[in-house]
Amino acid sequence: MRLTHPLIPMALRFSLAGAAAGLFACAVRAQSPSAEEIVARANRAAYYQGSDGRATVRMAITDAGGQVRERQMTILRRDDVPPGNSGDEHCGEQKFYVYFHRPADVGKMAFMVWKHLDRDDDRWLYLPALDLVKRIAASDERTSFVGSDFFYEDVSGRRPQEDEHELVETTETAYVLRNTPKDPTLVEFSHYTTWVDRKTSLPVKAEYYDRGGKIYRVYEALETSMIQDHPTVTRAKMSNLGTGGSTITEYSDVAYDVGLPEDIFSERYLRRAPRQYLRSR
Amino acid sequence: MKRFGLWLTEWSLSHPRLVVGWMAAISLFFVLGAGLPSIAPRLVPWLPGVKVDTDPENMLARSEGVRVFHNRMKEAYGLHDMVVVGVVNEAHPDGVFNVDSLGRVYELVEFARTLRWTDAATGVVEGVVEVDLLAPSTVDNIEPGGPGVVRFEWLMPRPPATAEEARAIRRKAKRLPFLDGTLVSEDGQALCIYLPLTSKHLSYRVYSALREQTARFDGEDRFLITGLPVAEDTFGVEMFRQMSVSAPLAMLVIFLLLLAFFRKLALILSPLVVALVSVIWTMGLLVMTGNTIHIMSSMIPIFLMPIAVLDAVHILSMFFDRYQQTRDRVQTVRSVMGSLFMAMLYTSLTTVAGFASLALTPIPPVQVFGLFSAFGIMVAWALTVTFIPAFVTLIPEEKLADFGTHHVATESGGPLAILLRRLSGFTYHRAWSIVVAMVLVSAVAVHGITRIRINDNPTRWFSSSHPIRVADRVLNEHFGGTYMAYLAFEAGEGTDATQDLGDEFAARLLSRRDELAGEEGAPAGLAEVFDRLSAEARAVTGPDPLNGLRDRAEGLLDAAPDDRLDAWDEALLFVEQELQRREVFKDPDVLRYLIRLQETLAASDVVGKSNSLADVVRTVHRELFEGQEEYLRIPDSAAAVAQCLITYQSSHRPHDLWHFVRTDYRGTVLWLQLRSGDNRDMDEVVRLVDAFIRENPPPVPLTHRWFGLTYINVVWQQKMVQGMLSALLGSFLVVFLMMTVLFRSAIWGFLCMLPLSLTIVVTYGAVGLVGKDYDMPVAVLSSLSLGLAVDFAIHFLEHSRALREKHGNWEMAVGAVFGEPARAIWRNIVVIAVGFLPLLFASLVPYKTVGMLMATILVVAGMTTLLILPALMRLLERQLFPEGRAACFTCNCVTCAVSAAAAVALVVISVYRFLNLGWTSLTAYSIAAVILLVGLCRWSSRRQTRKQEIPR
Repeated sequence: MRLTHPLIPMALRFSLAGAAAGLFACAVRAQSPSAEEIVARANRAAYYQGSDGRATVRMAITDAGGQVRERQMTILRRDDVPPGNSGDEHCGEQKFYVYFHRPADVGKMAFMVWKHLDRDDDRWLYLPALDLVKRIAASDERTSFVGSDFFYEDVSGRRPQEDEHELVETTETAYVLRNTPKDPTLVEFSHYTTWVDRKTSLPVKAEYYDRGGKIYRVYEALETSMIQDHPTVTRAKMSNLGTGGSTITEYSDVAYDVGLPEDIFSERYLRRAPRQYLRSR
Repeated sequence: MKRFGLWLTEWSLSHPRLVVGWMAAISLFFVLGAGLPSIAPRLVPWLPGVKVDTDPENMLARSEGVRVFHNRMKEAYGLHDMVVVGVVNEAHPDGVFNVDSLGRVYELVEFARTLRWTDAATGVVEGVVEVDLLAPSTVDNIEPGGPGVVRFEWLMPRPPATAEEARAIRRKAKRLPFLDGTLVSEDGQALCIYLPLTSKHLSYRVYSALREQTARFDGEDRFLITGLPVAEDTFGVEMFRQMSVSAPLAMLVIFLLLLAFFRKLALILSPLVVALVSVIWTMGLLVMTGNTIHIMSSMIPIFLMPIAVLDAVHILSMFFDRYQQTRDRVQTVRSVMGSLFMAMLYTSLTTVAGFASLALTPIPPVQVFGLFSAFGIMVAWALTVTFIPAFVTLIPEEKLADFGTHHVATESGGPLAILLRRLSGFTYHRAWSIVVAMVLVSAVAVHGITRIRINDNPTRWFSSSHPIRVADRVLNEHFGGTYMAYLAFEAGEGTDATQDLGDEFAARLLSRRDELAGEEGAPAGLAEVFDRLSAEARAVTGPDPLNGLRDRAEGLLDAAPDDRLDAWDEALLFVEQELQRREVFKDPDVLRYLIRLQETLAASDVVGKSNSLADVVRTVHRELFEGQEEYLRIPDSAAAVAQCLITYQSSHRPHDLWHFVRTDYRGTVLWLQLRSGDNRDMDEVVRLVDAFIRENPPPVPLTHRWFGLTYINVVWQQKMVQGMLSALLGSFLVVFLMMTVLFRSAIWGFLCMLPLSLTIVVTYGAVGLVGKDYDMPVAVLSSLSLGLAVDFAIHFLEHSRALREKHGNWEMAVGAVFGEPARAIWRNIVVIAVGFLPLLFASLVPYKTVGMLMATILVVAGMTTLLILPALMRLLERQLFPEGRAACFTCNCVTCAVSAAAAVALVVISVYRFLNLGWTSLTAYSIAAVILLVGLCRWSSRRQTRKQEIPR
């Protein structure tokens, strides 16, 4: 069974990362899975398909008044596969590169993540009109990603070991997990519930509860397709029930194992986009 | 008419039980009609029931332009009316920025988040809008987080643990222009929490809940709650409480005074019944016709009572004076009604005219108030001429045996009689002095009127010790102001994208090409592709050339060979950026213009603080450059502005941006915090902005328009002042015409108008001199003073004329006039003026104003009637009582011409508002024709009148 996936799709905050526990969990294949196993599989399905990947992303941000704003970008992902480890088994450190095409005035803006397992991720944002590369503080991972309803953390994933997981229900199609943060002071939610598809292991829905116990944020995978044998979420929605806004992201031209070189995931390439890798043609 | 009146009296005298029965039945009908829907709504689903509306916004019709715009803008920018909670600590050296105080603030905000309720009927959740709550624990701090790092973090994610942490919160907030003076006070001692509400009608509920919660806190913090929505909503609640105390109290005082005057419980019940029943009918009809009980209409009972009592007191007074002469109640009533009927009819009609004219004001609640008050006055009149005679018949004669005996014994020696007798002598012998004094007083009063300050402020409707007033005062000392006004800017004409692709476009294209060519790793074939684009731009046609060019460039990109793709990407990006030039509020010049406007406003005393999109951009810009103050400015390109904004949107509250700018960047809102909610201060800001824009034309065409509750109040005030003025003028003319008809003479008409004119001039002169603002209650009372003052004058003149005829000259008549008739006027003054004094102890300022003005109006109207009218009678005796009389009053040329002119003016005033009229040559011809006809009329009727005069 080849567990694979798309790139980052702003999907859930399920990243592996971290220590041996995470790496170990990644390799588990059990018949009747535990909560930890389900989470590990989901993490892999959501963020580690293939050894690298590329997708064109269209983001439509709708506010409570029904006004829609669009963002268009290309996302590149590359896994740091240690020598001797096959791409399939890997779920360790990763790098992401997000290049903005539209709106035109933020065109050429670029965002880069180095995702680590044992420490906070590194994030950079390049603002071409100000000729400025900014590091984004680690504490900002749960702030809005460029004005959308997704968070920075959703881009590269939340480390599974930051939460306690509990399998609360197994339905015909999904495992339902309750996830409670180990350090509640770092996050704004009290807990969240996720639905992990039993066939694809993709997280297909998540509901976040605020401290008052009501749902205020909902993720839904709207469309899933098989791309190069990898189940891939191609349309997803994040709704903010507090503001009444929502964001829909659509992934097109998804490709895995495209052979991205490591050096393009560097500060130098933030200022000078690696054009040939950003193009699907 | 008089015959009809006498018949009515006779009928009532002979069918007393029928009259009382019908009155009771109709009252029951109105009580049930208004009350049943509240008690048993299922029984009468077709009846509207009592609906209370305390929203001053409804002073304007829902379709009124400024309201429509206000609501549209609130929707467009996601703005809500806000409750402002200030926290002040004057004991701690760090103010509220200490561990304990901030802990309580944190707790209060957590509590405020829970202030949400589900509407039982609609299932909609309403209350505090959590995502827009402005508090230390809910807003972001933006700051450089070390070299090359910009950081967004909650300003106060949890209560601080140390004094240093607490002070750090102040330091961080003070650095951010949009928090300094808004969230944290300028002196760093206090902070403010802003609770946006789904509907401002929840303000009082939220206010009460917050007060309950803060009462539980100990420590030295003061929690002060204010904001226009709270003031308005709380006023509504307290108004009804006040009304349910004040109206019965006024009734009680009137009752006691009547008892003191007439000493016959059975008899004095009748005026009170008249007052009560006319209030019941009026309010019943108001409710049953589906009208809401608004701030204005809630005042109807208070206005109706004195007027309803007025006529009854005239009757009782005369009945009291005459009864002992015949000791026959039916006979006495008959003679009293005979003397008073016409006067009462006319006083009622004039008062009705005064109130009904309010229907011409452009303010719906004032219209309702005027019309229903007028209805109530007619009801009171009808009851006075039917119910009171009927009621008197029902009292057994023996019960009345001693009525007025006490009075007869003391008639010549009673203090009131002596006082009035002296007064009559005074007016006769000192007539000139009185006239001179009147002229002097009028001159001073006119000076006072020129100093009248038109102003209102819902916060000041509370007495100065009310918690809302205290909060208002303290918070506006510490902060940039708690009154929000919003100035919306829209991109004007010619800023849309369908620009022509002329020389400027070509120049920008070339400069982009050269810029790109100079970069490292420039795409291949750049010059070739951009030249091609330039050629395409010249060739493209159609109504929207830029979009045409974009489509063309997209096609060329798709068809381009691999080695030209990068260059075409750049070309297309350039075209798309050109399309974005329509987003004018990303234009650095426009943003700098906003900053200049803000700086100008900040220099005024009224505007404490303003926030705008430009503040957001320049603050983010500074933080991107490590917080260095010299970078607190707008960057130089629209793209740089856009990138600052996208950085700002990477916060916990990206939606905050849309409170300042529309998503298409063609509309923006400037938030102003005013130190005062006074209308004249808002007015001043409006003028300031207009002047700035006139002197400094914006870099691109922009239109501007105000909204927000503070501004809406200004608009309805302007409409009210103007409406009231023309209503007053109109009713003044109506009353004058009626008086001219009643007395068959223009000079008598003038005389009759004198007390009321003087009353208005003196009362409003006093308002100006004392420095009391001309606000809503003051404006509305003008119509009341008209009704009351003319009442006294009519009664006085009617009796004067009759008595002059009886005695043959004024010298003999004046003593009699100051007997019965003057006593009735005197009693009325005392009853009503004193009856409303309890209002002075009300906690709400508008009620105090009404009480105070009511007393002033009564005293002034009474004094002018009793002093000036007799003085003028003395001086103008020959003119007022001419020897020969014209056959018909239209045959008196002066009367005819004056009343015709008044009638024309009346029509003009009433119609002018609805039609767009102006002077034309036809007007000139018409005037000439009228003058000609007047001359003809005079010439032809001259001989006629002479002929008629000779036989007399």
